[in-house]
Amino acid sequence: MVEILDPTGEREAVERPLAARPPAGAPVRIALLDIRKPRGDIFLDELEALLTARGHAVLRTQKPTFTKPAPADVRREIAEQCDAVIEALAD
Amino acid sequence: MPAELLALVKHDCPVCDQILPALDAAGVRVVSQSTAEETTAQAERLGLERVPELDDGLVLSQRFDPDAVPTVLLLDGGEERDRVEGIQRDRLAEVGRAAGVALAVGDLPAHRPGCASLTRDPVVARRLAAQAARRDGRLRARTIALGELEDVQEALHERGLTDGLPVVPPTAERVVAMLAHTSRDPQDLVGVVPPYEGRATVEKVAVNAVMAGCPDDALPVVLAAVEAACQEPFALHGLIATTHPAGPTCIVSGPYAERIGMAAAGNCLGQGNRANLTIGRALQLTVRNVGGSRPRVEDRAAHGWAGKVSSCFAERADDAPWPIGPLDGSTSVTLMATEGPRLIVDQLAREPEGLAASFASALQSIAHPKLVLAFDALLLVGPEHGRVFAQAGWSRERLRDALFELTRRPAGELARGAGGSPEGIDPKWISDPQMPVTKFAAPDRIVIAYAGGDAGLFSMVFGSWASGEIGSAPVTTRVEDWT
Amino acid sequence: MSCGLHDVLSFEEAGKPAVLVASDVFTQAAADQAVKLGAPGVHRAFVSHPVQDRTDAEMRAMASAIADELLAALGVA
Repeated sequence: MVEILDPTGEREAVERPLAARPPAGAPVRIALLDIRKPRGDIFLDELEALLTARGHAVLRTQKPTFTKPAPADVRREIAEQCDAVIEALAD
Repeated sequence: MPAELLALVKHDCPVCDQILPALDAAGVRVVSQSTAEETTAQAERLGLERVPELDDGLVLSQRFDPDAVPTVLLLDGGEERDRVEGIQRDRLAEVGRAAGVALAVGDLPAHRPGCASLTRDPVVARRLAAQAARRDGRLRARTIALGELEDVQEALHERGLTDGLPVVPPTAERVVAMLAHTSRDPQDLVGVVPPYEGRATVEKVAVNAVMAGCPDDALPVVLAAVEAACQEPFALHGLIATTHPAGPTCIVSGPYAERIGMAAAGNCLGQGNRANLTIGRALQLTVRNVGGSRPRVEDRAAHGWAGKVSSCFAERADDAPWPIGPLDGSTSVTLMATEGPRLIVDQLAREPEGLAASFASALQSIAHPKLVLAFDALLLVGPEHGRVFAQAGWSRERLRDALFELTRRPAGELARGAGGSPEGIDPKWISDPQMPVTKFAAPDRIVIAYAGGDAGLFSMVFGSWASGEIGSAPVTTRVEDWT
Repeated sequence: MSCGLHDVLSFEEAGKPAVLVASDVFTQAAADQAVKLGAPGVHRAFVSHPVQDRTDAEMRAMASAIADELLAALGVA
């Protein structure tokens, strides 16, 4: 029998719960977060028009690059000014 | 408590055979390093009254740590006051008297050296070192027991722990031997590895370095490479997840490279050099196993390239056209996100300007000739080309600046549709088609290294992954931080 | 896609419902990664691949087709 040492991070996936959803009918400020891959802006322009037409407040924002997680300043802006986030478009 | 004697022996030692009857007759406590069967057989062979005790786990032997057996210890309240290693007749009589024991030493030779204690056997010593490392918390990784009926290699493949090639099973003994080549604490954090935030401790890196087949003294280089990979500017998460083929290429510059036998001369990018291949491999095994990324799941490369198994070389210091490595004589590791290398042939250029022009045409075509500002380059200058620059007195910086200028193109040539290809600069950004546009965002985006064999008028160019703020920047770390 | 999935999960952990839009070449990878992140239900919605060569009109049509699904993912009517 051979005993080896575990080469992995040994990180058990801790269950990460999702946020509570807003009460029905509550006004929701939605962030449209552009990851800045090409063509995503056209998609988000249309979404912005559709959501605004339905009476939702929309904040357009973006992260500097799709190759890294959203930086702290973008997350702070969203945390302070929005209730929900749509991030697009990863292809 | 009065003083007492304790004797350490083993079964396959004629010197122990010689002294055992006297110890037995005097009722001395005798403890054997051998197995139960071996000890019983010896006792029968010698006609002893009492079979010696067994030193389970070699605990007593490790505690008193004799070079040789038989060793007779004089203990007072459990603490050692004196010892006799091997047979020294007068000294044995002396310690016997101190313990109030009459040892029959008259028939013994005046002096006879003992046999090596079992704790000095290299295999046993490694096992004991591994046990000690576990006890004192230097080793904390979980152990995985591979069953008696399992083929070790198949088991490691099935558990998803390899890069597709066989690995060296990372036993505790091998990992402890590897860890001896760093003074850092095995639980020091080297970096947090994406995408699942795995903690790459010194120990975890050593486990993966053993698997890669690294020579033990390469560990500090691997640690420096993992440190670089986990730095934020390197953007490892994006590099892992991209559809682009790039992986990390590791360039080692400085005297430590030669010390551990890295290849910087002929075939330095090819097969055959253990240090080069295993260092690059250890980095990627660490990224995979500690970070948790898997091809076609987290790793979305459309093709990848063989360098994602391992891509690592040393810069060549001898005959170099410019200084290699940090000025303080230390050794650096530079990690850069690159695709595979392409050849640059120039068999005719004798002057630096001409050779730079050849290099520039190769640099122009990185990714696509009409895609500009988005990629960096690693230019690996070979010695026969390096000589041209050395003879003309061109520094690395002068070559780099020349290449930055030579890779400007009129904007009109780079426009979408120009030359028949739809790629290129959106015409809305081009107000003047004659305006020159640089291929690279800045001169220092052309990273120049020096390595290769003595003969061959060749250099190599590696394009980078997405570069700068939106992508990855090369990161340099220091081997001596990990020695 | 992987960075986006991590972003969406971190917004959820900050108390903000979130959803990632990706092209459908990532459906399996997104599911696998969501499990490994400990959040198998993290919200994602898919448009058909490829995206890069779509016309503006096609991009707008994609947005229109998916808007309801995105609002539902956020728990918004």
